[in-house]
Amino acid sequence: MNEKRPNMNPEIAIRAEHVSKVYKIPHERRVTLFETLAGYVMRKVSYETFFALEDVSFSIAKGEAIGLIGKNGSGKTTLLKILSGMIPPTSGSFAMRGKVAPFLSLGVGFHHELTAEENLYLYGAILGIPRRDITRRMSDILRFADVERFRNMKLKNFSSGMVSRLAFALMIETDSDILLLDEIFAVGDKDFIPQSFAVLEAYKKAGKTIVLASHNLALIESYCHKTMLLSEGKLEAFGNTKDVIARYVAH
Amino acid sequence: MKKHYAAIIRELSWGDFKLKYYGSVFGLLWSFLKPVIMLSILYVVFYSFLKITIEHYAWYLLIGIIFWNFFADATKDSIQNMYAKAHILKNTNTPPIVVMVSSIVHSLFTFLITLVAFFAIISMFGFAPSNALFFFPCIVLLAVLLTFAVSLIIVPLSVRFKDFEHMWDIFLQMLFWVTPIVYQHYAVPAAYVKWYLLNPLARIIIDARTVILAGAFPETKQILITIGIVLFLCAAAVFIFKRSDKSLVEQL
Repeated sequence: MNEKRPNMNPEIAIRAEHVSKVYKIPHERRVTLFETLAGYVMRKVSYETFFALEDVSFSIAKGEAIGLIGKNGSGKTTLLKILSGMIPPTSGSFAMRGKVAPFLSLGVGFHHELTAEENLYLYGAILGIPRRDITRRMSDILRFADVERFRNMKLKNFSSGMVSRLAFALMIETDSDILLLDEIFAVGDKDFIPQSFAVLEAYKKAGKTIVLASHNLALIESYCHKTMLLSEGKLEAFGNTKDVIARYVAH
Repeated sequence: MKKHYAAIIRELSWGDFKLKYYGSVFGLLWSFLKPVIMLSILYVVFYSFLKITIEHYAWYLLIGIIFWNFFADATKDSIQNMYAKAHILKNTNTPPIVVMVSSIVHSLFTFLITLVAFFAIISMFGFAPSNALFFFPCIVLLAVLLTFAVSLIIVPLSVRFKDFEHMWDIFLQMLFWVTPIVYQHYAVPAAYVKWYLLNPLARIIIDARTVILAGAFPETKQILITIGIVLFLCAAAVFIFKRSDKSLVEQL
């Protein structure tokens, strides 16, 4: 991250100052070279500027579990992507203290033609887990995901629940101080959600900083110390989870 | 951090390599079949029909084809790989360059296997290696660097302009005929040779044949020019790619 770093006191894990993300949407989107060339000649470039995030500032203390709520398209994923360094903000600055987990959602990089075991190595590499650690922990990971019998089965034959359990089981092998999680409970079943919830509880106890974007308000309410409400790219509220959720629901 | 990227490159390229042959009947054989079929066609047309007179024409052709296939397939794959790995790029902070390198490494596997098979076959036909062959790895390295540099230039273009992929296909068709694959560069009219030899792929293929078929080292001056062109392209490619790096993923 080469953004200008705001001053940080050691108790702060994440600080964002006036972060904005602007997308320029051409009225007629030119995707082919011919259209671009024609566009330059005719000088008819008109853009609509769209604020995916607008002047968002906040700070999150170390060890806090923060809920992130808002309607579809309110900027939740954009915010998490900026914080994780995947996309740069258009303006503003942010700083993170501690190791940030290199993913937002689960199962990214999984390939359906590869077996469970092969996928763990591949996904593990993407998450930054050394190959030998995966080899050493392979049985534990498969046991946690409850797919031990299927270790050599291709992922395309797995149910979507099995895939997300596998992804979750591997995710908890990563050693990060800050976790930015985007709708990770969207596909779990009734057994898996409490199981993974217990892990997140353990994370909270271990003092990790967590930002959890979800539409599952009950989950946010029971888990998060504080909650952020985004509305059309603006930070509408940030504070006590109950109050923020009440405000969101009232809308 | 660097070690972590090396692991991603290894897993991605090895995974792609496995996937390419999973469930196929001929498996690895496909990477030999393609150059062999291309060789047969070109050989019949140019040797039997058009009576081209080049010594050891089959080997001559085959060397050109193997290097050509590597360059053409690797550059095309690097474009497609960007889209195939879009979910990784969009959802993790893996930099695009890691995916690009993994794509080239994957193409390199096939290239090296084909080369090993080539030398095995040519030895069966009584090919005697000379000292010049020690220089061959350098030529392979130049081919890899060239391919990487070209990929770094074309991938951002193809992500930005959806029709670039078609243009690249046409460009490759043209490049095939302005590269001495089926003919010798002596056949090019003297007035154009100077320009013709600015094509780094042509220079690399010519040097590869000098080393293998003539058993001679390439001329120092010529090889230095080749290295110069390739390094210049690499520098230009890195410059261009760095400028597009940030917005690349958003445009995918």
